[in-house]
Amino acid sequence: MLSRVAESLYWMARYIERAEAVARLAAVDFQALLDGTRRGRFEDVVRITSDAALFKSIFPEGGERGVLEFLHAHPANPSGVLVCLSRARENARGVREQISSEMWEHLNRLYLLARDGRAAAMAEGPYAFFRQVRDGSQAFEGIAAATMTHAPAYEFIQLGRYLERAVITIRTLAVRYEDVCMLEDGSAPASLELITLLKSCGAFEPFRRQPRAQLRAGEVAEYLLLNPQFPRAVLFCLERIARALWAVAPPSVRAEDKLDPPARLVGRLRADLDYLDVPEVLDSGLSPLLDDLLRRVHQVGNEVTRTYFNTRVILPAPRAAAAAAAQQQQQQQQQQARA
Amino acid sequence: MSGPSILNGSYRLDGFFDEMFAAKDDVRPHYRALHQQLAEMTAATFDERRRAADASFLYQGVTFTVYAEEEGVERVFPFDLVPRIIPEGEWNHIERGLRQRVTALNLFLHDVYHAQRILAERVIPADLVFGARHFRREMMGVDVPRDLYAHVVGTDLVRDAEGTYYVLEDNVRSPSGVSYMLENRQAMKRIFSRLFARHGVRPVEHYPQELLATLRAVAPAPAADPCVVLLTPGTYNSAYFEHSFLARQMGIEIVEGRDLVVHDDRVFMRTTQGLQAVDVIYRRVDDDFLDPLAFRSDSMLGVAGLMNAYRAGNVTLANAVGTGVADDKAVYAYVPDMIRFYISEEPILQNVPTYLGCHEQDRAYMLEHLDQLVVKCANESGGYGMLIGPHASGAEREEFAQRIRAQPRNYIAQPTLALSRHPTYVDGLLEGCHVDLRPYVLCGERVTIVPGGLTRVALRRGSLVVNSSQGGGSKDTWVLTG
Repeated sequence: MLSRVAESLYWMARYIERAEAVARLAAVDFQALLDGTRRGRFEDVVRITSDAALFKSIFPEGGERGVLEFLHAHPANPSGVLVCLSRARENARGVREQISSEMWEHLNRLYLLARDGRAAAMAEGPYAFFRQVRDGSQAFEGIAAATMTHAPAYEFIQLGRYLERAVITIRTLAVRYEDVCMLEDGSAPASLELITLLKSCGAFEPFRRQPRAQLRAGEVAEYLLLNPQFPRAVLFCLERIARALWAVAPPSVRAEDKLDPPARLVGRLRADLDYLDVPEVLDSGLSPLLDDLLRRVHQVGNEVTRTYFNTRVILPAPRAAAAAAAQQQQQQQQQQARA
Repeated sequence: MSGPSILNGSYRLDGFFDEMFAAKDDVRPHYRALHQQLAEMTAATFDERRRAADASFLYQGVTFTVYAEEEGVERVFPFDLVPRIIPEGEWNHIERGLRQRVTALNLFLHDVYHAQRILAERVIPADLVFGARHFRREMMGVDVPRDLYAHVVGTDLVRDAEGTYYVLEDNVRSPSGVSYMLENRQAMKRIFSRLFARHGVRPVEHYPQELLATLRAVAPAPAADPCVVLLTPGTYNSAYFEHSFLARQMGIEIVEGRDLVVHDDRVFMRTTQGLQAVDVIYRRVDDDFLDPLAFRSDSMLGVAGLMNAYRAGNVTLANAVGTGVADDKAVYAYVPDMIRFYISEEPILQNVPTYLGCHEQDRAYMLEHLDQLVVKCANESGGYGMLIGPHASGAEREEFAQRIRAQPRNYIAQPTLALSRHPTYVDGLLEGCHVDLRPYVLCGERVTIVPGGLTRVALRRGSLVVNSSQGGGSKDTWVLTG
């Protein structure tokens, strides 16, 4: 499989996953606002998904409107919903023959919804809009699983999806867990915070369904990090990443039962989590662990790029020169072969 | 039957050669079954089938892109449901003519890039060849497998008022449109299955396999199981759909310039499992953009070092570099002479009479008769850079006259042909619309011509321009089994 194709599939999946996360986090916060349980905390979503300093520089006042605009479509925010979906679509366009037509159509619809449907959606409240985006992204995952051959092309999609997902769960924990720890465990405000944290990861119902689950900070953190069955838990994501890496590894690697660099990193990371001393970590505070995890997951991403995509990247943040080059390339493509 | 038929007494021939009617109410024998069926059809039924066809094209993404707005708009290539029918005898004549012509063109290309006998013997003026924009001196003395340069040729044929076939132009660089030939056939089979059963229509579906066989046949010598790829400019190219379609049908990789890398004069593609050697490149990228080291240095679509690998004989490009010299519109005028010179035969298919701007007498005639002639730029294609004299304004003609005087080598003129017409569905009725025919010729181990081609039709009333970028559509083309 061509490296460019693999890379496009991988980034397509990452961008869709990121759009979904932004939409889910925003929807959860707006819902909490309606419940009257939280006030003025939208900026959390910015801190989890994007660059908070960038936000401050653009919207020094902060506030709901600024956050909404920043998260939806501000061109400077590489994690805005519209920016993510448009990049996902650009990546998909280059590999249309590799994905099913259902996937392409669905992604187009989703992009158009985010682009054109905002005014209508915002009129009914941002909650409805973000939920539509979240649902659309989730449906994409289902369509991909049901319509694509589960061959290497599909595995690169899985790889991108679960890497991005692991990053988001870690960052959500990093931002929201601190707030919880400042409250008294078991108190009503702490419980509400924990519920928001779980909902932010789409984990509230699954967590609740466990027998004997207690809404305690430590248990929630352990669940989101180490549960082997919940699809947004970090350990679950790592397991899927390892599986995808095995499936795309060159035959020479598989024949000798070796691991390539990204797989080796993932293996070490999983082992560390498997043998984690949970009480000790919780006692000493989660932050150092989360920082370490985030750094190492990003490292896996870099190794994937180095090992499998040795070509040019569709840049996450196009600068003027890159944009001009892309435009020139596009013009040349259009000039070709009009016979 | 409710409602009037779509083919009734109001159909007019207007003095043109009509593919279906020899005279008013006199249907040509090979069209009788189709005519009968159409006469029984109402606009409502026809519209219903047409919608089914349009929907299936849109659904499958059989589109081309129009760049009028900021974001390219994808349009369905307009498709007319009334098929064009060619009887066996007529097709055999066309096929023999094309075979002869393409053979001569390949001999010409080899000669021009080697001994240049045809220039030395003054059959074609040397300055005409060397002055052609697409003549590539980089190809001098380069040997290509089987001495073949033009592997895929799309020759445009037209018929005049008597119904004689003429060659309008030879597209020897990278002719497009073959995917429409295949998709049109698919759609017709679904929508008019009964009509098909009544005719013996020769199949075209094997075109991608023939193309692949042709490409494999011209692989560099040592490759036992050659790796063939299709090189596309990329997703923003208006023919990208076709590139992706053909690659899928042939089961080969579709690559962009940035997917390929040249190392030690060998071409490789970058895959997730490392570098993989490439033997044959079916390229849909123009010469100018192929290799920034050899041609345009600002090309973002090419592969640095590709020409070195090519000249070293380690990779085959199809079509070869430099074929454009053979479809230059001024060189075109000499194709009949090439046929006589290289294979000592009389041309089976005639050229349209052509006046060359670089010949003094011709130029004088051109300038005096601009209102009767079609003037074309010698090295443009796709219906760009054209003047249709009878339809042009005085100012447009004056502008062209100045351009011809300034750069006579770049212009040719031809009489405005009374192109043949074909019944075509326009606003609830069948009307005569002008058509041409582009069969696709493949040259590998042997010359292969899939029976049929792309019939392009000028859908604007009275228009003579059939290019898709200028409001043209297409029809399925049926070659009968006799």
